[in-house]
This record gives sequence, C-alpha cells and structure tokens, in this order.
Amino acid sequence: MRRREFLAMAGATAVTGFSIPRVSAQVANWPERPVKLIIPYAPGGGSDLIGRPWAEALSQAFGQQFVVENRGGAGGMIGTEAVAKAQPDGYTLLATPGATLTVLPHLRKAPYDASKFVPCGRTGDFVTGFSINAQVGPKTFAEMVDYAKKNPGKLSYGSAGLATATHLRLEMLKYRAGIDILHVPYRGSADALNDLLPNNVQMMNEINNIPHVKAGKLHLLNINNSTRHWDFPDIPTLTELGHPDSDVPIWYSIQGPPGLPQEIAEKLNAKMLELSKTEGIQKSLRGVSAALQPMTTKEMVAFFDADSKNNAALIKAASIKLE
Amino acid sequence: MALDGLFANLALGLSVAATMQNLLWCLAGAVIGTAVGVLPGVGPVATMALLLPVTYVLPADGALIMLAGIYYGAQYGGSTTAILVNLPGESSSVVTTLDGYQMARQGRAGPALAIAAIGSFFAGCVATVVIAAAAPPLTRLAQQFAPADYFSLMVLGLVFSIVLARGSIIKAFGMVFLGMLLGLVGTDVNTGNLRFTFGISDLFDGLGFVPLAMGIFGIAEIIANLTNPERRDLVSSKVENLWPSREDFRRSRGPILRGTVLGGLLGLLPGGGAVLGSFSAYTLEKKISKTPEKFGTGMIEGVAGPEAANNAAAQTSFIPMLTLGIPSNAVMAMMIGGMMIHGIIPGPQVMEQRPGLFWGMIVSMWFGNLMLIILNLPMIGLWVRLLLVPYRLLAIAVLFFCCIGVYSLNNSANEVLFIGAFGLLGYLLMKLDCEPAPLLLGFLLGPMMEVYMRRAMLLSRGDPWVFVQRPLSLTFLVLAGILVLLVVLPFIRKSRETAFQE
Repeated sequence: MRRREFLAMAGATAVTGFSIPRVSAQVANWPERPVKLIIPYAPGGGSDLIGRPWAEALSQAFGQQFVVENRGGAGGMIGTEAVAKAQPDGYTLLATPGATLTVLPHLRKAPYDASKFVPCGRTGDFVTGFSINAQVGPKTFAEMVDYAKKNPGKLSYGSAGLATATHLRLEMLKYRAGIDILHVPYRGSADALNDLLPNNVQMMNEINNIPHVKAGKLHLLNINNSTRHWDFPDIPTLTELGHPDSDVPIWYSIQGPPGLPQEIAEKLNAKMLELSKTEGIQKSLRGVSAALQPMTTKEMVAFFDADSKNNAALIKAASIKLE
Repeated sequence: MALDGLFANLALGLSVAATMQNLLWCLAGAVIGTAVGVLPGVGPVATMALLLPVTYVLPADGALIMLAGIYYGAQYGGSTTAILVNLPGESSSVVTTLDGYQMARQGRAGPALAIAAIGSFFAGCVATVVIAAAAPPLTRLAQQFAPADYFSLMVLGLVFSIVLARGSIIKAFGMVFLGMLLGLVGTDVNTGNLRFTFGISDLFDGLGFVPLAMGIFGIAEIIANLTNPERRDLVSSKVENLWPSREDFRRSRGPILRGTVLGGLLGLLPGGGAVLGSFSAYTLEKKISKTPEKFGTGMIEGVAGPEAANNAAAQTSFIPMLTLGIPSNAVMAMMIGGMMIHGIIPGPQVMEQRPGLFWGMIVSMWFGNLMLIILNLPMIGLWVRLLLVPYRLLAIAVLFFCCIGVYSLNNSANEVLFIGAFGLLGYLLMKLDCEPAPLLLGFLLGPMMEVYMRRAMLLSRGDPWVFVQRPLSLTFLVLAGILVLLVVLPFIRKSRETAFQE
C-alpha cells in the first residue's frame, strides 16, 4: 500500500515536472554521478552481450560511469522488480530483453506493472533464424516445410525454455506454415545446442547456432528480422518467404523506473540515437550477431504495445501456460 | 602429420601465453584462485562471477587466461582447507576431507598438503597435454551422448554415491533422496510450474548450489567446532614435519597416476566433472587397496588419488567448453560468459578463427600449474600456521566470507539467510550421523536426471524402451544394477559395513 502511494506520488512529481517549463536543476544536470544499469539475468547471457557495450559507450559519451549490475533470478523478474521499486531519479535503469515486460506478464503474476516503465532507447535485436541439422536433409525453408508436412511430428525443436522468444517463434511458425513440430524446452540455448549438434533435436533458432552454420553442420533456413543477416546475404527473411508479420523479435532496451522524468528519458534517448550512428557500437553488436534498431521514445511506446499484444495473442492461440 | 600439427599449435600457443602481459594475468589468476580456494566458503564460481565484469577491460586472451587460472588455482587451494579445517573449498574437495583432515589431526598436515599439491601438479600437466592432443576426437565421443545416455549415467552416479557413503546405506539413500527433493524446488523446465517456492521469488530458479553447500558443509562445521572447541587445539598442537617421507611418495605414486587417468576421463562428461572424478578415484583406491578398512583414518592414498583426479577433471572439463561451447559445470558457464563478453561465441569455430586464443589458453594452463606449485609448496608452512589462529577468530572470518560470497552471486540477501538455514540443517544431520555428501550429489544430479529423463521420453515420443535400446545407456544401467545387487547381497553388505566402520 505504501509503495503504491509512493509510486503515485512519484508519478505525480513527474507529471508536474513535465508541465512546468523550467526543468529542475537535478534533472537538467543528469547524470551527475554514476548510473546503475541493472541487467535482470546472470552475467554472460544475451542481455550482457548487448547491455555491456552500451554501458561502455554511454559512460564515454556522458563522462559518467554506467555501471552494470547483474541481478538474475525468476526469469528476469527479480531484477526487473528491483528497478520498478527504485527511485525514479535516473540513477537506476533497466537493460532488459522484451521478455520481462511484454511476455512474462501474460504468463505469470509479475511483481511490477510492465506498462509503467519509461522507455529510454532500444539497444539492439539479435539476428538469427531457424536452423536445421544438416543430417536431416532439407536445406531451405521450403524444403523444411515440405519435409515437416510429409513427416508430421518427426521434427523436434529445441528452445532456450518455455515461453522464451524462440519458443514463441516456433509456435508462430507452426501456426503460419501449418506444420507439426515437437517443442522441447531446455535450460538456456547452450543446453539446447548440446542436443542439436548430435541430431537429438533437429531445429533451433538461437545466435549460438551461427558458428555451426558457418562450419557446415547446420543449415540456416531463414532470417527472423526485417533485413537479411550481413554474414548470410543469400538467406531470405520470413517476409521474403511469404510469411509477413510472422517474426517474434528478440529485442533489448533500456527502461527507466515508473515515474522517471521524461526529460531524462529524452536526454538518454538522444544520446543513444547519436551513438547508434557510430562505428564502435555497430561493430560490437555485429560481433554478437545483433543489429541496431534505433527508435525515439514515442516510437518505442507504440512498438512496446504492439509487441505485448502480439505476444498475448500468440500465447493464447498456442495455449502456452506456465502455472 | 597429426603430431606436426600438434607441435605447430603448441608453438603458436606458446607465443601467445609467454608474453609478459599474459604471464602476469596467468599469475594473477593462479594467486587469486589459490586464495579463493583457501578461504573457506568463497568458491571459484563466486569469484569468477565477481571478476567477470573486471575482465571486460582486458584483452580477450588475457581475460580467459586469468579466469582459467582462478579455476585450477582454486582446485589447489580448495584441498588446503579441506585438509586443515575439514571445510572443502568446493564440492570436488569433499572427499579430500575424509583422509586429509584425519592426517592433519595426526599432525601430518604437511605431507597431506604437499602430496595434494604434487598430485595436482602432475595431473594438471598431463591434462594440459591431453587437451592439446585429444580435444577434437574426444569431443566427437562426448557428442554421441543423447538424453537417455545422460540419464542412465546419472543413475549410475547416484548409485555410486550411495555405495560410497560411510555408515548406514539407509541413511545414505535417505540423504540422496532428500537432496533430490531439495533439487526439485524451482521452475519445472517442461511445464513452467513453480514447485515448492511458497511464492518467494528467490526460489523460482531453485535453491542455489553455493548456499546449500556452504551451509551444510561450512556453517554446520563451524557450529560443531564451536560446540566442542577442544578438538581444534588437539590438532594445532601436533603440527610436525612438513615434507612427505619417501614412504609417502612411494604410496602416492600409483594413486596419482590412476587418479589422473580417471579424473581426465570423467572431466569430459558434462555434469559430474571434478566431483565425480574425485569420488570415483577415492572408491577406486579403496577397492584396490590391501587395507581398505584404514581409509577414513588418514591414508595418504585417499588424498593423492582424489586430488589428482579433481585437478585432471577440472582441466579436461575445458574440452567440451572449448570445442563445443557447452559448459560442463557452473565454472565453465562462467568461462563462456567471459568469452561472450568479449564478443566470442564459443563453438567449434573458435579453434579455427582464433587459434592464438585457443592454443594460448591451453599452453597458459601449463605455465599456471608451474606457478602454482612454485607458489604453494613453500607456502605450506604458512597454510599450516593458519591452524594456530584461534578458532573463535577464524570462525568469524569464515562466516564473513561465506556471506560475502553468497551475496555476490545474485546480490540477493535471501540467499544469505538460506546458508544460515542450511547450516542448521547440516548441524542436525551431523548430530544424526548422516553424511552430507550424498545429499549434495542428489541435489546436483537429481534435477538433471529428471530433466534428461523427461527429455528422452519427449524425444522418443513417450517410448520408455529408449533407455535400453541405446547401447551407452544400457551399459550404464546394467552397471548400476550390478552395483545395487552387490550392495544388497548380505555377504557383501556385511563386509562393506565393516569397511566403513574404520
């Protein structure tokens, strides 16, 4: 109860701050001290790969340290909750994948209201696609669909876990292409890869597949992104394959706690848009098979809502349940 | 031709590892690792997690060389506390406490520590060559494993842990079972159901291995020691000769060789790794010993074998990680994290695209092992003197580091409370004469077993015959069956009971 009152008050302050043209000095001079960037997963995961280069770049751009703090647990909910309860002063921010905000709340009772977070900037999307073990036979997307139709239930697909973005990607594929593929959830993508390489499962859709595609052990069938992958210019996107609006993006962003003054979000967003044009951050992200998708805060709000609605619809259609 | 390739690769590795900068990182890793291993309750996983952000500013090869150094350095250091204060620095040193601590109580801490260091050095050197020579073919073998095979292997592992336990079989079975139950806490991978979490979000990902192990082994031991402090005075009053005698060396030669081979092989298997290696080496030594009944009373073979095995396993567990990008344990997951932070996605490509990094890290392991033995042998005197620190002071320091270590894992205050709870549980178990080691194995292997079983069944579309149709899986199950039969037979059971009676 007390927290809710506090949040309401914080929200009120933010609104007041917005309506008065003279921005308080505290907000205008942000950041005056180090900024804590909470990543709601253990070190070394995908969120780190995208979050840490950004922390580095932002530290240099603002002349204040952006310190990454990994606070993992409960599928990202613990770290996200910590930010939701933090002071909305711009010194505690969240660097998160979409999952904690636009997927999990549809499946579990989340200890935060995802729609109350203040978007500051998109940090990048992982770019990969469906891959299939070379021992199976099909080399292209069409051949795979054909194979699945002729052998219903024979293909298995490994995901990083229930209700992860890559699980949703499979459900979307099954729905759009009308095929039957068995979903096998793993504890993370490295675990799934363990079974993909010896052909215990036949398909995956994760960035850790990319090296094995290059080594010839897997065939990359498509790209789940609006544009093709720079390393695989011959592999078509889902849209090009005749399945528009079938992508489930694996997107990352920096979000402020509820009640973060909009000035701070805009200031951070402007710097992030500027940095997105530099070779440094582009190169770091390309190295981990991620691409930048720069957006203004307004565009982010619209994107967030659309993503959340799509996921809710997909979760319902595929009747994915966690409890 | 293959040999030429090996030498060319090692030469390339040497040129990377022997730079002044990388030697320094290697030294830093080895020293930090030893310190971490020595300080009870601060494990390599916690330390690597703490230092992972620091490595971000280092070049990729330096960072990985240092992280690797922390790991095998901790294997050296972990045995030190296991021997001196009966606190295994990490799970793989649990067996070392059995005979190592008894040796220390008899005033033979020096020889025990020296043999542990020498055995580890030998195993480390051999394992380095093994990694370099055998990484590609061995990876192909480990890749043959399907979920059904993993399941059966873990059944065998758990049966082993029951047979291995001291005292009553019923109690050991109960401990494995309790461990498996504790392992069930958290989110079910296949359905997403939350099990035994009571709405506490810190439990959604399950109970942590570190708080459990620290509580049951570390805190419980401290409580027990504080209730009867005279036990420690007895130990510290009798520290004598530091160096192993000629007889000690003669008795340790065989165990070190066998431990190296066994550990090296088991290290390749995901899951058990160093823990399984040290446990198996101990049983093996006990099995082939002419005086198995003396194990547990301070036999040097019981220190030499497992210590060689856990170090060999620690290093060969790099093989699936380096060649496949698959972590075989929590530490390897940290190494993968270290690579990912530098934008390297682990996999077969690393060997081809970053040969300098790959072979540099392997050669650095040899340098690291050399540094460790140079560092550690002269410092045995120093570690032994640690015993003279009054326990009431040491206990506080240990508790302090345990709390910091646990907190640093997830920045979670609840997990610090967990070690307190597990400490009390551990003390209770101690009073009931129940071995905690099988509990820990049940906790580690139980959930993995469940996951592999359900995954195997999912992939076989519900056909349970998959477990006997695969030759590997069948072999493990048959071995486990034979082991159970042996233990149940009255004749064998009797001799086992006398063997464990000391």
